Amino acid sequence: MISFRNVSLIYPNSQTTVFEDVTFEVGEGEFILLIGSTGIGKSSALKLMNGLVPHHTGGILSGDIQVDGISTRGVRPGELSHLIGIVGQNPIHGFVTDIVEEEIAFAMESLAIPESAMRKRVEEVLDLLALTPMRSRTIATLSGGEQQRVAIASALVMNPKILLLDEPTSALDPIAAEEVLAILQRIVHDLGVTVVVAEHRLERVIHYADRIIHIASDGSVRVGFPSAVMKESEIAPPIVELARSLGAEEMPLSVRDARKVLISTAHQLADLVPASPERERVTQDRQPIVKIKGATLGYERNEVLSDISLEIRSGEVVALMGRNGAGKSTLMKAISGVIVPLEGEVSIEGRDPSAFTSAELVRMIGFVPQNPSDLLYGRSVLEECSLADSDQGLPGGSTLATLETLLPGIPASTHPRDLSEGQRLSLVLAIVLATDPRILILDEPTRGLDYPSKERLIELLRTRAKRERSILIATHDVELVAELADRVLFVADGELVSDGDVREVLTASLPFAPQVTKILAPQKWLTVKEVMDALDNA
Amino acid sequence: MSATLLDHSRSTRSRIHPFAWWAWAIVLSVVLFISSEPWFAAGLVVASAILVRAYKEITPWSRSFVVAMKFIAVILLIRMAIAILIGVPIPGTTIITLPTFQLPEWIAGIRLGGPVTTERLTSTLGEVMIIIGVVALFAAATSLTSPHRVIRAIPLAFYQLGLVLTIATSVFPQFVVAIRRITLARRLRGQEVRGLRHWRKIAIPLLEDALERSLDLAAAMESRGFGQRIRRSSYRPDHWGGLESAILASSLMVAAVIWFLPSQTPAFFFASGLFASWLVLFGRKRS
Repeated sequence: MISFRNVSLIYPNSQTTVFEDVTFEVGEGEFILLIGSTGIGKSSALKLMNGLVPHHTGGILSGDIQVDGISTRGVRPGELSHLIGIVGQNPIHGFVTDIVEEEIAFAMESLAIPESAMRKRVEEVLDLLALTPMRSRTIATLSGGEQQRVAIASALVMNPKILLLDEPTSALDPIAAEEVLAILQRIVHDLGVTVVVAEHRLERVIHYADRIIHIASDGSVRVGFPSAVMKESEIAPPIVELARSLGAEEMPLSVRDARKVLISTAHQLADLVPASPERERVTQDRQPIVKIKGATLGYERNEVLSDISLEIRSGEVVALMGRNGAGKSTLMKAISGVIVPLEGEVSIEGRDPSAFTSAELVRMIGFVPQNPSDLLYGRSVLEECSLADSDQGLPGGSTLATLETLLPGIPASTHPRDLSEGQRLSLVLAIVLATDPRILILDEPTRGLDYPSKERLIELLRTRAKRERSILIATHDVELVAELADRVLFVADGELVSDGDVREVLTASLPFAPQVTKILAPQKWLTVKEVMDALDNA
Repeated sequence: MSATLLDHSRSTRSRIHPFAWWAWAIVLSVVLFISSEPWFAAGLVVASAILVRAYKEITPWSRSFVVAMKFIAVILLIRMAIAILIGVPIPGTTIITLPTFQLPEWIAGIRLGGPVTTERLTSTLGEVMIIIGVVALFAAATSLTSPHRVIRAIPLAFYQLGLVLTIATSVFPQFVVAIRRITLARRLRGQEVRGLRHWRKIAIPLLEDALERSLDLAAAMESRGFGQRIRRSSYRPDHWGGLESAILASSLMVAAVIWFLPSQTPAFFFASGLFASWLVLFGRKRS
């Protein structure tokens, strides 16, 4: 269905090739997962398939790409719209109209398909993606998962043979992600569509994949069955890590498989107790830094969270979880003093955060926004780092050094805009971490990060926590929470529904449980490392 | 199937043809310019506000009326201040006399300070009112009509133009949201967010954000076959029905009233302006 023959690609104004002499083939009706490290070219690969690269972006392409027998070289992406649907990394950026139905009809309108035929197809797609109840809603008012579904629907309405998706679940909470993936699987099974998904969070998608295209760090591309690729790939979900560490022959990919394969390990573990030395450092006698007492948070005429009381102690890593729109960012804004509580009290070290001067604020709080580019304005990575140094009065080179530990090998002369999403996030993290604030607030810090980068981030944050820095992370990434957090706050429906030890909270809820927990339930294990340490010590 | 289709058309009955409010605004602003009557302008501002309240839906652009009115209020204050300080004197009742500054020979016609007369204030206020009136009319049209639907209703003979218009209209509402977001992020970095020197730190991420969005949007439109055919079909064609006619008719009736009725008092003009909203609201009830 899709064939790459000796494909090499270089973007304009760039010295390095994205791909070199890549050859592979994808068959009809396959669910393909595209994996690779941060910034390796997964998005480029997807865009090559429908011709957006190089027709839309520029760049030099050598070799040949054929899609259903058509060479993408000779046709513009629009001419392939009946054959290939593509859903970008930020679906909201790609919406052309305001209403769900009209968005879905847009591609058909472009091809001048008659009204009656359009109506029928729109009905079908609405049904298939369970969007009928929100057919006449304004897209801007939908949740992230719903928007993702609208984007898929508007690609699918053309009855394409191929559907390409760039990180379809990275912005979604676990439940919404599950819904979207189940729909993709149905599309593959029922409609015979070839689906290619680029994704970092393998734990969410790998069990759906028929085959994996793995772009290795040296740029070589390998296509294989998931179990084979997972035996040696440097990026692997916790389930595979666990199986590898235990020396399993077969690589389980789903929780169900893993339970079967690892049944003996589960018996062994039954008598052991998870111990995590990193987590035990926070004790009750630590001083609370952030105090929220009976606070109602939100905006005039729009209360988002009511009657919230909590404390964050120094050196504590707190994860803030909950579905999209549950009030996570409101809580973060209140702690950083951007909004004043409508009722009750929010204080940092006994003071009202909204009264901080900017110098105090920087020393106190480091905030990494969900959209990291908001903090970038330099012309190169190097300039960005030195600007950050001079802004914050740090010795020259300290930001760059932090960046090196976080993501080694970012070329310093690159323009921040040309970085991949994960690289840009690392740069902003470095800028914020370099000032070493008392409280770190991170909004979705793992979007677009591969496992090794995530590992480095976790390491870095742990060192901060050891030096009594408090960390608050709002995230949908359960595995990150399992690895890093001491405590989990769970918000839903405008309330703080649970506030407790990470182990208690994560093992109690099925959709928000990490993979290791699911495999070893009802035992309460969270991470691969815990399991391995316990086994080694036994 | 037919039942769902029926329900469907009823649920979308409130969709007004994208040209209706624009036609209404154009007719009334022409009348306003020709009559040059501040009281008529005032009536239209109130009428616009009433209509926006009555017809507004929750959309990203529905706030544009409020935003535009705030913006124009600032412009008005600046304009008034300039009118008081600088300008050609109009003789009349003096309210206050400001100290005059001697200006060089070569701008002899203009004077700084001097007596401020009621006449000068009223004539400036009159001019400003006309501008506010026109802005209010178009702001109302903007906040009541989806920019995307306006574009799709325009025949797309030129692919590139359509692309540019779609991107431009979708980027500007995002601008407002993005400015707020970036300012917040920068403030939390303890950085000044006011002043010219710091503007760069907001402007660059803002422009890059807009550029990135535009590229994403253009890519999405391109990969969905935009511009493949010169004629597009329409999923839900916009109908020019009773309500649309009522809206246009209301503006034409106001024009007729202004032209043909003899009364010329301020109250008459104010009432004629208000008439514009009353007619539409009445028409809505009937349709």
